[in-house]
Amino acid sequence: MLPKFDLLIPQTLPEALKLLAEGAPDILPLAGGTNLIVDMRGGHRRPRALIDLARLEELRGIRIDDGHVVVGGGTTIAELMTDPLIADHGRPLREAAARLGNPLIRNRATVAGNLVDASPAADTAPPLLVLNAELELASQAGTRRLPLEGFIVGPNVTLLRPDELLVTVRWPIPPPRSAATFYKIGLRKAGACSVVTTAVLVARDESGSCQEVRIALGAIAPQPIRPRAAEDVLSSQSLTDTAISEAARLSAQATNPIDDVRASAAYRRRATEVLVRRLLTEMAIT
Amino acid sequence: MKPKAVTLNINGRTHHVALAPNVTLLHALRDLGYTDVKSGCEKGDCGACAVLMNDNAVNSCLVLAWQAEGVEILTNSGLGTMENPHPLQEAFADAGAAQCGYCTPGMIISAKALLDRNPHPTEAEIREAISGNLCRCTGYGQIIEAIQMAAQRMEEV
Amino acid sequence: MKYKAKPLPPVDLPELRTVGKPLRRVDALGKTTGTTLYAGDFTMPNVLHAKVFRSTEPSARIKRLDVSKARALDGVACVLTAENLPDAKLVTDMPGQTGQKRRKGSDAPVLAADRVRFAGEPIALVAAETLDIAQRALELIEIEYELLPGVFDPLEAKKAGAPVVYEPDNVVSYWKIRKGDIEAGFAVADLILENTFRVPFIDHAYIEPETGVAWVDERDVINIRVCTQVVEHFRSIARAVDVPHNKIHIQGTMLGGGFGGKEDITVEIFLALLAKHTRRPVRLEYTREESILAHSKRHPFVITHRTGVKKNGRITAAQINMVSDAGAYPYLSPYVLLYATIASCGPYRVDNLHVDSVSVATNNPFTSAFRGFGIPQACVAHEQQMDEIAKALRLDPLEVRRVNYLRTGDRNSTGQEIKSAVWLEETATRALEALGEKTPPSALPFGSAQDRLKAGDHGPIKVGQGFASYMQSYGRITWFHDTSRAWVGVELDGSVVIRCGVPDLGAGQVSSLCQIAAEVLGVPLEDVTIYSTDSALTPLAGTTTATRQLYMSGNASFQAASAVREVLLGRASKHFEEKPDNLDIANGVVFVKGDPDNVLSLAELAAMCAAEGLPLSNLALFRAPFSTTLNPENLQGDVFPDFTFGAHAVEVAVDTETGEITLLKSVACHDVGRAINPTAVEGQIQGGSAQGLGYALMEEVQVKGGIIQTPSLSEYLIPTSRDIPTTRALILESGTGVGPFGAKGIGEPSLTPAAAAVANAVSDAIGVRIRTLPLTPERVLAALDRAEADKGRSV
Repeated sequence: MLPKFDLLIPQTLPEALKLLAEGAPDILPLAGGTNLIVDMRGGHRRPRALIDLARLEELRGIRIDDGHVVVGGGTTIAELMTDPLIADHGRPLREAAARLGNPLIRNRATVAGNLVDASPAADTAPPLLVLNAELELASQAGTRRLPLEGFIVGPNVTLLRPDELLVTVRWPIPPPRSAATFYKIGLRKAGACSVVTTAVLVARDESGSCQEVRIALGAIAPQPIRPRAAEDVLSSQSLTDTAISEAARLSAQATNPIDDVRASAAYRRRATEVLVRRLLTEMAIT
Repeated sequence: MKPKAVTLNINGRTHHVALAPNVTLLHALRDLGYTDVKSGCEKGDCGACAVLMNDNAVNSCLVLAWQAEGVEILTNSGLGTMENPHPLQEAFADAGAAQCGYCTPGMIISAKALLDRNPHPTEAEIREAISGNLCRCTGYGQIIEAIQMAAQRMEEV
Repeated sequence: MKYKAKPLPPVDLPELRTVGKPLRRVDALGKTTGTTLYAGDFTMPNVLHAKVFRSTEPSARIKRLDVSKARALDGVACVLTAENLPDAKLVTDMPGQTGQKRRKGSDAPVLAADRVRFAGEPIALVAAETLDIAQRALELIEIEYELLPGVFDPLEAKKAGAPVVYEPDNVVSYWKIRKGDIEAGFAVADLILENTFRVPFIDHAYIEPETGVAWVDERDVINIRVCTQVVEHFRSIARAVDVPHNKIHIQGTMLGGGFGGKEDITVEIFLALLAKHTRRPVRLEYTREESILAHSKRHPFVITHRTGVKKNGRITAAQINMVSDAGAYPYLSPYVLLYATIASCGPYRVDNLHVDSVSVATNNPFTSAFRGFGIPQACVAHEQQMDEIAKALRLDPLEVRRVNYLRTGDRNSTGQEIKSAVWLEETATRALEALGEKTPPSALPFGSAQDRLKAGDHGPIKVGQGFASYMQSYGRITWFHDTSRAWVGVELDGSVVIRCGVPDLGAGQVSSLCQIAAEVLGVPLEDVTIYSTDSALTPLAGTTTATRQLYMSGNASFQAASAVREVLLGRASKHFEEKPDNLDIANGVVFVKGDPDNVLSLAELAAMCAAEGLPLSNLALFRAPFSTTLNPENLQGDVFPDFTFGAHAVEVAVDTETGEITLLKSVACHDVGRAINPTAVEGQIQGGSAQGLGYALMEEVQVKGGIIQTPSLSEYLIPTSRDIPTTRALILESGTGVGPFGAKGIGEPSLTPAAAAVANAVSDAIGVRIRTLPLTPERVLAALDRAEADKGRSV
């Protein structure tokens, strides 16, 4: 049973922002509801009112703009799986979308919702981190841009202000000789909260040697992280087995996992090392 | 939290009903008599409540009824009747895919959403499409057969 | 290892018209079109909505309980606590018993009075105008607990000085088998192996939560529409509510799954009490979280095997110790323990056998019936022990079984002679043969480059195969004097009616009876309608449990239909001037054999019979064999009507770096005696297997300090369509069952061997055994680490 609340249904984004400004902080935006409705039913959130964003066209759409992929915050996870621009320029995000929840959830859950809910295990976060994603946050006062890195500060806590909406997620089209991928370990193959997630992106220069490596780790700390020490080990280096192993080891070291019903901290650290090693190896031979 | 008059389009019928904002589509449907939409968990884990909203299969327990205004909603009972069953409903019956039958309406909704987009799915694609519908009775084998059978029969028509 | 099955012995199973055909079940189309109504789809005018107030503490005294604010809330019709109840006990220890002596002290209170023994124990009931008001009323109930020390491990609970959950010493039940000379048996063994295995709490996780609606009518009868496996609970409900037995009417609905979780009373007494007090209809529907909290679980077991064997694998002695967690209240723990004890040594000839088993109370969630009823737990242990024996002796796992398998005419662990076909080798060989050669890692169906990378033959993916054999009883313990009744009649238009109290939990219980009646009376299946599951209006058929309905109600239906057929053909013989043996009925038409144009429709014949006052219906009573209870000192004697035998074989791929297990292939072969409906049998095998595969890989109700850590289906994981391959079902028919047409039972047997097969396959893959279920990725890595450490040490 859901607690009582008012439900406001704006027709435009400016209207939504106005309602949000007037009602904050007791008012929450509702997109897919796949986390929020569950939290409300469980008594973890009791907003006075919700703002339904599901109809706002301004929050939809995926396009290219000035060398960037721009994804509306209201884009569903299912749309991420099938969109050709994501297939071409956001492969790790597409792979994460395919492992998030299940088809019924994906038809409602949105990329903004996943990021703003900010579960430590949010599946869209590691891929977007290796894509160097930037967020556009809008309020009645205007818009601002923040890098995704650092936006999530702890379990279910972000830098989003109570009167803001996450309206777009954008990232620069990855360089031509780059490859990226994502892997998730869960206790079953659908409908599984992630135990460990890993994304990597490897960019090469014209001669083929490794120019930049980005690694992102999820479900292994209060927020998803980019293990910089691990990345630094690989910059301007060939992706030898030794270098990859070292990066994997440093990645595991950078984690700060907990024991919970799904896995122990020790397992999460260990699996992180395995996944980083494997994904980098795969990218090395791609 | 005042109820408001909401118009819901369900299985081609129009319903005018006063609903509070905190009523989920699942409960609105069941209270309107669409008891084929089942409640199994009310948090999106089981898929028993699945309906089509504008051709997308979703968990109706996670949709607020007000959000469903102006949307075409299709439940399993809207696909066919005992006198005139939908090929999926026939195939599920023929293949033994409904044992206790409680997951079946939601399962058929996911199957319909699949076949609408992909009339010739592989087994892997079928497994993927129904991976949000938990079944505790069948082990999914005869469900997959039923969907393949329906796909074939629908093609032959 | 290549396996080649030997040909089966010849079996004479005549082809029948309806039975044995993969017909569409009578309930199928109603379910697939969403027409069928389940318990939660019913309501009544003027209905109240109920909620249950439950303990949040696993072990406490209730110091203060104040429901006055809840009672005063506008819209609340009634709040009940233990104070308002007659001396009300919730549970029967034996569902559906007909006057058997009840086990002393086995009852749980309907509502806790002064003490709570598990988190979730019901304390108060609320009925209100809306669900919302009922929920608010719960929040207004004030309670103060005085925490008492709790005990959460049966091994701890057995010790002297442990907190007492069940007087006097927490021992709810114990059994022992003493057979042969155990010391002599060990003395001649070439090798003695000891291993301990552990299995966890499991939830039934039926997709339909417990639900019902009750109302009192003009006769003062309390009608309860509810999903239940046992309509005979009306007697216990009557006692708990303090009304005569004939004032409780259970209208059972098609269940959305049962598996043993709806075998004990769930919502019925709460509904009856609230309806009685308010004189209004009351509806109660558990949320999923409440369902997981409120209903029984599968018993965790710790099972130790000490086995003496000869070099060729022949068992010379087996000493087995079993401890199960009975949870806070006994429910069916003694009987689950009994089944596990009898099954503990597996389907093998063990002449020297000592089994000691005990079920111990704790402040954990209470445990009771779950498909298999202790035998899946026993199987996880005995089949892994057999594989360990094979490994130690360097013998093929099937060979070790072969030298020990029971055969028809042998006696089992209680000395009961097995009279039906014992197709253990037949089923195991076929399952292994169908499993085929081990898939090389390089051929694994993994998609991405990264997966291909790890799938090389020397990479971290290891493939293993394993199997398990089992025997599972069908039909209830014979000293319960089980019976079932069915009424079959032909209407004046030739259509057929069955009336039978049988509850249908989704496995086709009612459809099987229709198929049997259709066969005997020579009508198409569509001409048979069954009215079922009503404690007042349909003849009582006993519980839908213990894999007994096809056997018991199937036989009763067969008997009743046969009696009607005899009357019909008796009258028809006068009409045709032929002996009844020269007549037959098919497609609703009676004809002379060899002269099919000489016909009389069943409708015409029925009219003739009616006109002459001949009975067109029959009420049959089928009795299972009756026996006396066993000597508790050695547990020797007959216990069950018969057994089903079979095997399950599985191939797995294990990622030795992440610990992830992927099921590649699953094959099950069972001798079902006779498949009344092959599609339904296949469905049972695939579905039961799925539960067993989930048991092996991912299912566990984690409990810490008595508090469930896996409260919803996000934490308690059951397999999705992406987690398990379809189990290939190989159905064998020996025709030797004691059910109708030689049928045995498959409902529980289909689950029993699956988890053990997976455990054996994983052990084969990684070369080391994991002795605790579920086989999580962590446990895989821990086992591999131990093996590495052991290797290092032995160098």
